[in-house]
Amino acid sequence: MTALYVLDVPENTTVAKVAAEFGASVGKIGPYFEITADGSIVIDRRATGCRHAVWYSCIAGVSGGTIVQHDKNALQVDPA
Amino acid sequence: MALEHKVRGVDHAAFPTFDPAGTVRFYRDVLGFPVVHSICAAGWGPENHPDFIHFFFDIGNDDRIAFFYYFGLEPQHTHERGDVYAGFGPEVPEFFVRSRHLAIHVEDDADLLEYRRRLDDSEWPVEMQIQHETIESIYTHDPNGYMVEFTRAMRPVTPQEDLDANLTIDALLDVVAEPDPSFGKLLARKAELIVARAADWEAAREGAQV
Repeated sequence: MTALYVLDVPENTTVAKVAAEFGASVGKIGPYFEITADGSIVIDRRATGCRHAVWYSCIAGVSGGTIVQHDKNALQVDPA
Repeated sequence: MALEHKVRGVDHAAFPTFDPAGTVRFYRDVLGFPVVHSICAAGWGPENHPDFIHFFFDIGNDDRIAFFYYFGLEPQHTHERGDVYAGFGPEVPEFFVRSRHLAIHVEDDADLLEYRRRLDDSEWPVEMQIQHETIESIYTHDPNGYMVEFTRAMRPVTPQEDLDANLTIDALLDVVAEPDPSFGKLLARKAELIVARAADWEAAREGAQV
């Protein structure tokens, strides 16, 4: 399973919301969103509304996967 | 147990200058930082130390920025990039040259814009205004080439950000202790620390609030 951790602060809430809209499961572990999927996790940056400084620093951790894209368009984590 | 945290901010951060007139114009006359201390010292000691003036400006909170002006001392490098303390050749990337800077805190958006106005009316206008993750900053270079930032918090820092910072540092120390540290390895290690510690942190915090 691919897991992406994002700290729950106001700037990041749309990251988890958009991940859920694109099919990932979103839970919580402590103050972190735990975004999980059996396959890839894909998040569209423009859908999140995050400005670049927020977007490029929103990832707290990745397990069971590898970031294959993190640019101005999207974040994609593929299974390891 | 954590060591008791007894320090009280910046007493002074000191920098050399070859342009005391410009430095006083910038800090005292443009920014309005009061001169709060100065030392006129005859050179002494074993290294042919020149006579010098050591002068201080208040940067708020009783913290100070200080300069050394050495009589008769010529500039110590000829590089065009960098500042009067450290010069860099064309082989050094710009992000590295710009990495070292002093950031001065202001209370709010209005105060940030006030310092922006003062700088924009001067010989040292604002070069960038940027909203970072949770702070907004303006930048310029002082007459000595030192990068100076003014910054305001866009919201208060939350407790979970302190946890996150500590997990980042613990993950970083683990990753740099191994060969070939990378961002990917840090995020993998930090995920392990989040799973191990984040749930307990929240439970302990809620318990402390009861």
